[in-house]
Amino acid sequence: MLRILHDTNYDFIRWWKVMAAITIAFILLGLGSLAIKPPNYSIEFTGGTLMQLEFTQPPDVGDLRSTLDKAGINGAEIQQFGTNKEFTVRVQNAAAVASQSKGAENISVTIENVLKKKYGDAVTVKRTEAVSARVGDEFKRGAIIAIALSFLITLVYLSIRFEWRFAAAAVFATSHDVFTTIAFLKLMHLEISLTVVAGLLTVLGYSLNDTIIIFDRVRENLRKGRKETLYETLNRSINETLPRSVLTHATTFAATLALLLFAGEVIRPFAWVMAFGIVTGTFSSIYVAAPVLLWIERKWPRKTSVRQSSSTATPTSRTTRSPATATR
Amino acid sequence: MSLKWRIAIILGLIVGSVWALFPRTVVERVTRNGQVLYDTVSRVPLKLGLDLQGGMYLALEVDESKGAVADKSKAIDNALKVVRNRIDEFGVSEPVVQKTGNDRIIVELPGIDDPRRAEDVVQKSAFLEFQITDKTQALEKAFPRIDAALKDAKVNVAAATPSAAKDTTSAGLQSLFTADTSKKADSTKKDTTAVAATAGGPGAFEKLLQQGQMPGEYYVAQSDVGTVTQYLALPQVAAALPPGKVIRWSSDTTSLGNRIYRRLYVLDAKPIITGEYLTDARPNTSPTEGNIVEFTMNNEGARRFRSETGRHVKDFMAIVLDQRVMGQPPVIQSAIGARGQITMGGKDLQAAQDLALVLRAGSLPVPLKVADVRQIGASLGRDSIHAGITAGVIAVALVVIIMLGYYRFSGALAVAGLALYILYTLAVLAGFSAVLTLPGLAGFVLSIGIAVDANVLIFERIREELAHGKTVRTAIDEGFRHAMSAIVDSNVSTALTAAVLYQYGTGPVRGFAVTLLAGIAASMVTAIFVVRTFYMIWLNRSREAQTTLSI
Repeated sequence: MLRILHDTNYDFIRWWKVMAAITIAFILLGLGSLAIKPPNYSIEFTGGTLMQLEFTQPPDVGDLRSTLDKAGINGAEIQQFGTNKEFTVRVQNAAAVASQSKGAENISVTIENVLKKKYGDAVTVKRTEAVSARVGDEFKRGAIIAIALSFLITLVYLSIRFEWRFAAAAVFATSHDVFTTIAFLKLMHLEISLTVVAGLLTVLGYSLNDTIIIFDRVRENLRKGRKETLYETLNRSINETLPRSVLTHATTFAATLALLLFAGEVIRPFAWVMAFGIVTGTFSSIYVAAPVLLWIERKWPRKTSVRQSSSTATPTSRTTRSPATATR
Repeated sequence: MSLKWRIAIILGLIVGSVWALFPRTVVERVTRNGQVLYDTVSRVPLKLGLDLQGGMYLALEVDESKGAVADKSKAIDNALKVVRNRIDEFGVSEPVVQKTGNDRIIVELPGIDDPRRAEDVVQKSAFLEFQITDKTQALEKAFPRIDAALKDAKVNVAAATPSAAKDTTSAGLQSLFTADTSKKADSTKKDTTAVAATAGGPGAFEKLLQQGQMPGEYYVAQSDVGTVTQYLALPQVAAALPPGKVIRWSSDTTSLGNRIYRRLYVLDAKPIITGEYLTDARPNTSPTEGNIVEFTMNNEGARRFRSETGRHVKDFMAIVLDQRVMGQPPVIQSAIGARGQITMGGKDLQAAQDLALVLRAGSLPVPLKVADVRQIGASLGRDSIHAGITAGVIAVALVVIIMLGYYRFSGALAVAGLALYILYTLAVLAGFSAVLTLPGLAGFVLSIGIAVDANVLIFERIREELAHGKTVRTAIDEGFRHAMSAIVDSNVSTALTAAVLYQYGTGPVRGFAVTLLAGIAASMVTAIFVVRTFYMIWLNRSREAQTTLSI
């Protein structure tokens, strides 16, 4: 039987300070860059117009730009989309969005008219999206509510199934993933669209899965009442679930890779988010959820656990040991 | 549960799934040569989202730019019926017309190839009025007042700051883009300079108009249309216009010599009748007048129409649709009854068809504007499906290689389970007629990677139990039992997230959530129940106990 990382005994949590420093640095880098320049929101959130054009011949981008400028379409972003015959035109500056309050389609109609005049049948509009500012605001609100609500529901469910300490640690780890993923999106210059938000929520679910698998093992190991500290139990649980983690991450990454390479331009940002999510989800389950659980245990020691381990350790020795040894 | 029952349930699920996915004949509405036909096609009953099959999505809101609407929700309810009637006659298969929230209508038109036309049909107010042209030369009498008003207006323009002047320019530009696409952008520049140069001079307004062929008709050169529109929009000028009259542009243009003119009509403000009495409207082609729309009125409308036209014999009657005069107003020869016609003024038969369609469906009670529009070409949709399937096949291949390479025989059981997982998930989507969107397809591909997680959890547990020296049979039992809580907890929390996404997502994202939910359900069934049954079959295969397990 083929085994990977079987019967390991790594002291994962020992490195939590280093890991915390790394992840905080990454998040600060991302948020700092956010402070300098706002994130790249898609027109779904800002309102605006997006058109995907296909040309029979690779067009001159300068020409395309001047054609749009002459038609009074200011601030259009023109980007190559996949091949050099496909381009997206994006208009989402404030003035353009304001002019869409009368009817979202008017800019796309103007663009289509001037392009048809200039290029004739050499250009095809493959996709048009035009969103008014009001609809954009609603999407934005919906996305925020969705993320907040999924946190709340998760917290409640985990509190029922585990107990509040585990739930809080798991939710904290998941929030960490939101921040790292936002930092990642920003540093990769990925556009934040509805699909990317869906990707973010999938990452949260995935990361939560990972945390739950480890915590499930912790719960089980605690019931066995071994003579060990929570610190040791956590390490043991992470080691015991390591082969599962490697396998599941491998298959999930295989699927993500297939999406990244073959599913086309529209899905690519989603696939990037997912690829990063596998990394941050694994990381946070080990280096965020576990240390936070230890910290919570020190602050608010559990009574049941005291009774369980009363034969081996006094409450004081247990509570002083776990975080102290963690930092040793 | 006995093994026989387990096998029966699995087979039942397979049969049910295959049945749910079996291609079936459906009746589809298609438009061919301008006629709506019913056509039967055979296809897999998986509903594709607009982003995969191409089509158009529109979100419509009440347009309050021309006056506030008190009860928007009620107005939308009424508009919904009209829009639905129009879409039903438009001839696309499986259109969606529904109200969302309090004040929005959503229209989904799969496979539409002419989005502009669809937008027109949905949005056209189709408010039909019959108005008598002015015989009293009211506009000529008002010329001095209008000129004075223009002078006033010019004073205002001069007093304004340069930035304000710039604002009016851009406003003019904008109204031009939104008002009428047939006007040329370059005429705008002329307009604004014209305002500055000629406004306020004696006869400034009169100069732009030429008396037409009938009372109340004027010709305006196409290049001056923007200027005249701008003048008429000035509040001072509006106040100076003759009372009890309205001024309307023609819908088409006339060429005289080598110049193109648009006609301007002065009409009695009170229509003799409106389109509310219309019962039917049909497109037709007349040898003398080109494409026309023939309409029929109900009894009350006919009675009223007869008496009104009887009083206006020898007058000219303008047929005004959405504030545009259609064709040249005909002279009323004698009282007209229940039937009449609208000339399309050189527009093609499709325009006549569309006009007849919107007249039949009734006028919109409130003007609507587009708040959100997405239009995806059919070729792009096909490309997306193709790319999605490629990614799916490759994902499956990679996952199969990993599972077989690592778990050997047990991996093969997991792969068999994965095949059933794919079948069940698609069947659930078809069974609940959920919509498969592009993000949904991506979510499905992703879920293939995640679905084996439950198998991995179980297999790792079995390995642990075997390492503890348990027999194969016990190890399998214990492995499934111990892995259960982790599988349930992780899947339920993911399902909760997916449910939130479903509630707050729109269109494509909602499709993603549905696929995720279907996938979670199917993966739990296959990992916990199906693969377990496979093991039981394997254990029962021979009389003597299995001593080794390839895992």
